[in-house]
Amino acid sequence: MKYITLTFSLNGNKISLKTHGNRRLLDVLRDDFGLTGTKEGCGIGECGVCTVILDGKAVNACLILAGQLEGSEVVTIEYLARDGKLTELQQAFLENGAVQCGFCTPGMLMSATALLNEVPFPSEIQIKEAIAGNLCRCTGYKQIIDAIQKTAIRLKK
Amino acid sequence: MNTTPEIMIAFNLDRALKLLSGEKSAPLAGGTDLVPGIHQQAKRFAAIERLVDITRIPELKQVNVKNSGTTIGAGVTFSEILTHPRLGSEYPLLTKAAATIGSVQIRNRATIAGNFVNNAPCADSVPPLLVYDAIVRICSLKKSREIPLQEFLLKPYKTQLQTGELVTEIFLPPPPQNFGGDFYKLGRRRGVAISRITLALLLQTEKKKISGLRIAAGAVTPIGRRFYDIEHQYVGTEISAAGLKFLAVNVGKAILEETGWRWSSPYKLPVTQQIVYQILCKLT
Repeated sequence: MKYITLTFSLNGNKISLKTHGNRRLLDVLRDDFGLTGTKEGCGIGECGVCTVILDGKAVNACLILAGQLEGSEVVTIEYLARDGKLTELQQAFLENGAVQCGFCTPGMLMSATALLNEVPFPSEIQIKEAIAGNLCRCTGYKQIIDAIQKTAIRLKK
Repeated sequence: MNTTPEIMIAFNLDRALKLLSGEKSAPLAGGTDLVPGIHQQAKRFAAIERLVDITRIPELKQVNVKNSGTTIGAGVTFSEILTHPRLGSEYPLLTKAAATIGSVQIRNRATIAGNFVNNAPCADSVPPLLVYDAIVRICSLKKSREIPLQEFLLKPYKTQLQTGELVTEIFLPPPPQNFGGDFYKLGRRRGVAISRITLALLLQTEKKKISGLRIAAGAVTPIGRRFYDIEHQYVGTEISAAGLKFLAVNVGKAILEETGWRWSSPYKLPVTQQIVYQILCKLT
């Protein structure tokens, strides 16, 4: 025993993975798949830097075990830009100065992406709520909120 | 690497109960407490050899709001509680508390039963569940039983849950009619904060008298608890500013009696009393 074979979808690819079920999704992404855009910060679900989208919902990859993934759909930061083309949201982050050191950025983008998928035109309060679980210690939240708001407006057109 | 615990997914309740019947098995839902605990090799989870994922069990994901009362499946997440079309109007203190729990990411995973099943004093949903007289429904392979939440919670991090048992749902009696109420949480910051004080209060008034009162606190007491003595003492009394002040002071005293004087008491005691008073004033 001890090794299990998991089948799940990762960034649009069907994956079959033999691993220990008690590893965190965070470690599986980083160590097995080299998807290091998903960072480790606090490791206890407070900082949001490991945010990924699991079955359409923003979740902390540090709080999910590999053994829970069977049949799930996981999307990481690496799946936002395709063929070298940034998403509107990523572009807006750049244009609005929403990136400074960049460590919180993947998590912020994933939380904001999940929000915009669910609420196409969120209020400022909804935006703040959606990124409340993502800590930024250098950029400041204003530029990030601006970027999300501007993306919503741009996507609406 | 450490290969325990093993993780197994149960897709129905029977299977979950079978997998949980062993001594060293424990259920895993949102994992917001368990997963970091296991990763950090916390002592309180050291004996677990098998974790049974219960997040895919349909029986545990139902919310049924009926005139005869409401059942909330143990595996219902706080996001699901917040987006439910009726829970907010029927049990507003519960949804207000749910909205203060963690972050979107946490609420997308964390479940209602997971919040109180470890009996952490800071479980935010507990005071509202207590004032709504929540009943915990429990199943094992052999039997099922029901216990009022207040009795289910024994002492910090200890409940009445036995080996092989699983909390399957929470039953809330119909919300008391003509009661006003509020939930209050104080943490070190507003978002993603462990609560330092939680209060839930329901009040009914008739002809300038208190005709119904339910008060519960969490975080500031060793476990979430109701103040039945104070409730009984004040039902039937006239509403006056002085009376409400004494009521609030007495809630503080009752808390102090239980916890003893702590380093945080000079701060928490007046805050608790003031907030109880403010809620009472707002509701009368």
